[in-house]
Amino acid sequence: MQIFKTLQIKPWLPQELEQEQETNLFPSVLNRDKAATTALKFFLAVVSVIFLLFTITFLQRTQSFDFQALSGEPWLPFTNADILLQNSTYLLVASISIILARKFAELENFKGVIILLTATSLFTLLFIGGQVQVWQQLNQSGFYIYANPANSYYFLLTGMHALHIIAGVLVFIRCIWHFLLDLSYQRLASRLKLCALYWHFLLFIWLFLFFLLTSDTETFKTIALFCGF
Amino acid sequence: MTEMENIAIADQVDHSSHPNTFLTKYVWSQDHKVIAIQYSITAIAVGLIALILSGIMRLQLGFPNEFSFIDPSSYLQFVTMHGMIMVIYLLTALLLGGFGNYLIPLMIGARDMVFPYLNMLSYWTYLLSVMVLVSSFFVSGGPTGAGWTLYPPQAILSGTPGADAGILLMLISLVIFIVAFTMGGLNYVSTILQARAKGMTLMRMPLTIWGIFVATILGLLAFPALLVSAIMMIFDKVVGTSFFMPAILSLGETLDHSGGSPILFQHLFWFFGHPEVYIVALPAFGMVSDVIAVHARKNIFGYRMMVWAIIAIGGLSFVVWAHHMYVSGMNPYFGFFFATTTLIIAIPTALKVYNWLLTLWRGNIHLTVPMLFAIGFIFTFTHGGLTGLMLGNVIIDLPLSDTYFVVAHFHMVMGVSPIMVLFAAIYHWFPLFTGRFLNNKLGKFHFWGTFLGTYAIYLPMHYLGFLGVPRRYFAMGETDFIPESAQTLNAGITVSAIIVGLVQLIFIANVIWSTFKGKKSGRNPWQATSLEWQTAQFPPGHGNWGEKVPQVHRWAYDYSVPQVKDDFIPQNFSPEEVEYLVSEQNNTQEKK
Ligand code: HEM
Ligand SMILES: [Cu+2]
Repeated sequence: MQIFKTLQIKPWLPQELEQEQETNLFPSVLNRDKAATTALKFFLAVVSVIFLLFTITFLQRTQSFDFQALSGEPWLPFTNADILLQNSTYLLVASISIILARKFAELENFKGVIILLTATSLFTLLFIGGQVQVWQQLNQSGFYIYANPANSYYFLLTGMHALHIIAGVLVFIRCIWHFLLDLSYQRLASRLKLCALYWHFLLFIWLFLFFLLTSDTETFKTIALFCGF
Repeated sequence: MTEMENIAIADQVDHSSHPNTFLTKYVWSQDHKVIAIQYSITAIAVGLIALILSGIMRLQLGFPNEFSFIDPSSYLQFVTMHGMIMVIYLLTALLLGGFGNYLIPLMIGARDMVFPYLNMLSYWTYLLSVMVLVSSFFVSGGPTGAGWTLYPPQAILSGTPGADAGILLMLISLVIFIVAFTMGGLNYVSTILQARAKGMTLMRMPLTIWGIFVATILGLLAFPALLVSAIMMIFDKVVGTSFFMPAILSLGETLDHSGGSPILFQHLFWFFGHPEVYIVALPAFGMVSDVIAVHARKNIFGYRMMVWAIIAIGGLSFVVWAHHMYVSGMNPYFGFFFATTTLIIAIPTALKVYNWLLTLWRGNIHLTVPMLFAIGFIFTFTHGGLTGLMLGNVIIDLPLSDTYFVVAHFHMVMGVSPIMVLFAAIYHWFPLFTGRFLNNKLGKFHFWGTFLGTYAIYLPMHYLGFLGVPRRYFAMGETDFIPESAQTLNAGITVSAIIVGLVQLIFIANVIWSTFKGKKSGRNPWQATSLEWQTAQFPPGHGNWGEKVPQVHRWAYDYSVPQVKDDFIPQNFSPEEVEYLVSEQNNTQEKK
């Protein structure tokens, strides 16, 4: 681990100066991309903590007497989770097309870039639309947000996730806007790299939530036992 | 990559962004120095509101029933708003948004933060959160009176003041604040990691930067817990979920909640709340280290240990939170665990205190105003730290919990101590901000008034706590176990508090007067080594460094170097320049 080496340096000794310069990066020659990547990684850490904490509170709540899981019995909404599977596919396709968009940007292929950027936006919006549809269905069939902690967490977690997607879309639109203004493929490619990282991260979070929210009582019991709740 | 992007950001002089209208220069500014000043002024302004609230509370406590505008509900509202404003909107914002913003780019040799636009957004979002918070004074029902810890279920039940609009505005304001902090925090860590000047290795960074760096990481990882709990409480309040709300009977009415866990909120809150103490303390530790080194003309004792201690404290601060919950009925083994971690965290903390003392030991101590405040900090912090050790033990905490002993403890350790450092820092860096000194006589008066005054406030409170005087009480009423004399003591505390409050007005007046009329300081008036004092233009202008960013050749603590003229070597002096300083010194000696 570099960091432990770094922390052992004795900056007051002159003979360690040269050595220190070698073992340490000099960020001054780095560019904005690097800084943006650092910032994004820290941001992902922040978002991870948010979802981690929600998850811990959720797992604890699954063991309370009034918790009614959303799948497991035929009349429960996610015993058959096809529509969520469909939404997952949208997000997956969006995540892949964003990678392809970057590839085309590197090839400086205008048409390809435009098609794939459109595809990404489209499929991401389809995902959001699909999620909204699920919320409506839940409401129509009486699974109100306040009726049961499982419902509350479903709305809460998917809502938080959707908010993060929407924030991503806003940034994404800004990337497209900048590209249309300056037509710089390099910049687009480096921006798309960050967007792709974010999309994949949110895809991962979504798959995790998908698993979590559609589990049945037995699964929760096992998880809770495993985590010591 | 285009040509431009491969040049160090640091060396790009971006002419297009040079602000020239009043609006772009001082209002919608993206310059970290202007944003820092905006943050600071806003934070100090709300801080004054919190100070006034504390004065009002003290009036009630010292002279019960003399003031008709304070009733039990409004007392609770004042307690709550005072606590929350002080901890979050004043200290966090001033230390990181204010000093973090000002000092990071200057001390590491960068032209600005890496994302200036985001930095600007961060300030305006912070301002919005402050406005939402302050607006809760004007809604029907007034601000929330739930205590700064906002514990449910009472926080959102009728019967608690401000349980409708007040608590919602508080929660929303916190969410907005966290968004603002995250925007700022991402900027600070990325700037420190990616925009340091050539030669500024991590282990050459001044301790101020280390403190701010680790505190920012703590903030980024701890504020989510507050965010999560605020959002869940908003849901409980607005849409009727039961995340925190158990089945409950309120004012004779059964509510629709069931099954939620109020204790869960406490865990989330303190998982944020304890690191928050260090979010405030670590930047203060860093800044006080630098102030002490400069004004004692000594290299900081144990630089590496200081860095390690900052990191260790940062890490440990995430595993001690439940020491705030000893009275919540937790499993005794948990209490044992958290008491142990709490006592362990005292080790790196004590190490830092020893190192400050050893830096002072045989130093060439200049009793300037910044140094006085720094020494004052060592007193108050040691004092508050020792009572912290006591409260960290379950068995001592149980009887003292929710008494004035706790109030005295946390005011010493996280109220007065960071404020002492903030004053030290303001007196120390004021010449950098304005090119002028703060008035010295008023400064000394301010120091002694504040230092002695806060002791006069908080020392007796420990005693009241031992007597059993409870915290967050509007009045004691008929109480057998508390002697009459406690009331006399309370009156004395109030008089001291009013005096301390008034002394701060002298400080404000000093700042305003000195900004325009203060004695000119000239460049680097304290003869400090760190980069912020070595800018081409003084005080530093837009872009900080003129044509070329500095290159760093050494750490920040070369003081009292015997061979060189003026006894110190700035971080950016190359070996040739140092030789020149040595020959200058030889010349003067020969002349003698
Ligand atoms: C001269 C300065 C100050 C005075 C006179 C003062 C006075 C008070 C008083 C009277 C209370 C209420 C005690 C009670 O009834 O339980 C209180 C609570 C509190 N104060 Fe201060 N205070 C001052 C500065 C600060 C500072 C700088 C901080 C920053 C950390 C701070 C943080 C708090 C907190 C967190 C609470 C607890 C609020 C609650 O119980 O919900 N205070 N203060
Ligand atoms: Cu704590």
